[in-house]
Amino acid sequence: MAAPILKGVRELMRLVDLALVPRRHRHKKKWAATEPKFPASQLALQNFDMTYSVQFGDLWPSIRVSLLSEQKYGALVNNFAASDHVSAKLEQLNAKDFVNEAISHWDPEAESDHSVAPSTACSPNLRCFTFARGDVSRFPPARLGSLGVLDYYLMDAASLLPVLALGLHPGDTVLDLCAAPGGKTLALLQTLCCRNLAANDLSTSRTGRLRKVLQSYVPQGIRERNQIRVTSWDGRKWGELEGDTYDRVLVDVPCTTDRHSLHEEENNIFQRSRKKERQMLPMLQLQLLAAGLLATKPGGHVVYSTCSLSHLQNEYVVQGTIELLANQYSIKVQVEDLSHFRKLFMDTFCFFQSCQVGELVLPNLIANFGPMYFCKMRRLT
Amino acid sequence: MQNNQVLGLHHHIPLTWVRLAKLTPHLGEQKRTTASLLRKLTTASNGGGFEELPLVGPKKCVQQLQCQANLVYCLPEKQGTSVDGEPRRLEKVVCSLLDMGFSDAHINELLSIQPGPSPQQLLDLISEFILLGVNPEPVYVALKQSPQLLNLPVVQVKKRSSYLRKLGLGEGKLKRVLHSCPEIFTMRQRDVDEVVQVLKEKCLFTVQQVTEILHRCPNVLREDPSELEYKFQYGYFRMGIKHVDVVRTEFFKYSLTKIKQRHVYLERLGRYQTPDKKGQTQIANPLLKDILRISEAEFLAKTACSSAEEFVVFKKLLALEEEELESSMSEEEEEEEDEDEEEDEDEDKDEEQL
Repeated sequence: MAAPILKGVRELMRLVDLALVPRRHRHKKKWAATEPKFPASQLALQNFDMTYSVQFGDLWPSIRVSLLSEQKYGALVNNFAASDHVSAKLEQLNAKDFVNEAISHWDPEAESDHSVAPSTACSPNLRCFTFARGDVSRFPPARLGSLGVLDYYLMDAASLLPVLALGLHPGDTVLDLCAAPGGKTLALLQTLCCRNLAANDLSTSRTGRLRKVLQSYVPQGIRERNQIRVTSWDGRKWGELEGDTYDRVLVDVPCTTDRHSLHEEENNIFQRSRKKERQMLPMLQLQLLAAGLLATKPGGHVVYSTCSLSHLQNEYVVQGTIELLANQYSIKVQVEDLSHFRKLFMDTFCFFQSCQVGELVLPNLIANFGPMYFCKMRRLT
Repeated sequence: MQNNQVLGLHHHIPLTWVRLAKLTPHLGEQKRTTASLLRKLTTASNGGGFEELPLVGPKKCVQQLQCQANLVYCLPEKQGTSVDGEPRRLEKVVCSLLDMGFSDAHINELLSIQPGPSPQQLLDLISEFILLGVNPEPVYVALKQSPQLLNLPVVQVKKRSSYLRKLGLGEGKLKRVLHSCPEIFTMRQRDVDEVVQVLKEKCLFTVQQVTEILHRCPNVLREDPSELEYKFQYGYFRMGIKHVDVVRTEFFKYSLTKIKQRHVYLERLGRYQTPDKKGQTQIANPLLKDILRISEAEFLAKTACSSAEEFVVFKKLLALEEEELESSMSEEEEEEEDEDEEEDEDEDKDEEQL
């Protein structure tokens, strides 16, 4: 039988593949007709080695090893479940609510030129537990509570920062322009501040996932009360569709999803067939941010976020959009300084110190969250 | 007490033997001859100058000189029943051992190891080691450390010795092996063969390379042969280390865990690349000695350029990954077995239809 020999060859191939692709996504030789010569995840890594070694210099190796290793999760407490014992349960596991930690450690004396207390600067009612720095424990899967919804939502804790930074106030009308798969949308709802929430994503399959998340976490009665609207339209059109409408807008754009692209083969944007699409991303991102700003009421706030390290997808897009709005629409947009906000969360996350605009959470083995870039803007006119 | 026992022994040995012993060139490193020792002591017992006594604790020796109890009768029954012949045989053994270069202290210790062989057996055993080119001091250390060696049948030791000579482990190469892996004599022939076979036939090392490996990394004898093979494959395929370098850098000395931890860490940092088919890399890989042979602190500072904190977390994460890999591998093997069975069934069906 050829089986023992095949097994031996497979063994060797496993050895060679070991570092590059995690087991479940490794190419299954016996089912595929041809072997991919260069998996997309490897192309992604090559791309990152080229661009980020320049962009980050000496910081790149420690970011790289973190991206290639297992990421860390946070448990976002579901305020719509019977939540008291959930916090206790998570604390028993030795996890801590990093939002609460950050806010309680804020020292009003130290920040002389910042008149706003963190409680108003950060969106309220968000509780998210993480394990301590260096602790690699994992959260058990969420469980259904008495109200028929899950008790917490596991997500990259850094994904909560854009929502915290948006600084919702009770009664706000909120737009989540690129909402799928729904983690940040759920977080927006958890603030209990949304009078109306509009959640949109271009892809219908992804909005399907978004709906499932909402069903699993938000009881039906509350879903109806909150007037949550889920749509699958082109986000770039929002300026025309609902101009000057929203108090708070979150624009969490499609990006190269850096961490994801290093591990998942399926639909990887670094596939050779998607090269054009990838190169057009900054343009798409700019258009989406512009639409988000146009959909904001004058005086309202927008947070732009990505999960990429690339400054072409981050600062470049923010600066380009502000310029575009000024030149083409005569709309004035001001970037809001988040350095105070960053300091609040310094104990939990590793931040890049040299962003021109906005903030960037860097993956680090000790706090393996991110990448997450976010920038807060205010539409002045 | 030991010195006194020795003195007791020598008291029974005619001075002629000792003089002969003195004349015989020693193989080992001996600081003072037993002869001069004896002379000084007999002088002392005759009322000579105590100052000449080179021993530690001269007073004790002088006192004990009085009780010249026949050491022969003090030694345990392993000596056998015949009392009269014993002292002679024992003397001969002691003399031979002296000839070989063992110090009296060592001889005494070796003879009193319990449970132990007869003096003749002891001599035969030791002779084998000496003939394999191991010096007295290392032999003593090895036997002291692993007294189970003393109870091996001499025939087995002779057989193993000739096998080891065939492998190229004579002429003193055996010293290190004997010290760190005395099992090389107690192991079953089959088990030694398996290790040698893995190295020669699976890993494709040359005969000289196999000898070198056994000599420098005797721990391979203790490893499971398939794990040893895996370790080699990891080095050869995954890290791109050639046979020559596997031997030269004593690669087998390090545990697979340590190798994987340091290698994968460097790889993920972007500081190590597996060479392509042509053996080329885009970056200059660090030298193996800077990966494996140095302390963790130096490794982090010099090779990885990373912090201890990060490495600690990395090791934990890697351990978790390995666990998952193993459990999912066994799952997949089960799947494959089921599928193979299904295929067999289909084949049978096709044949029936024909």
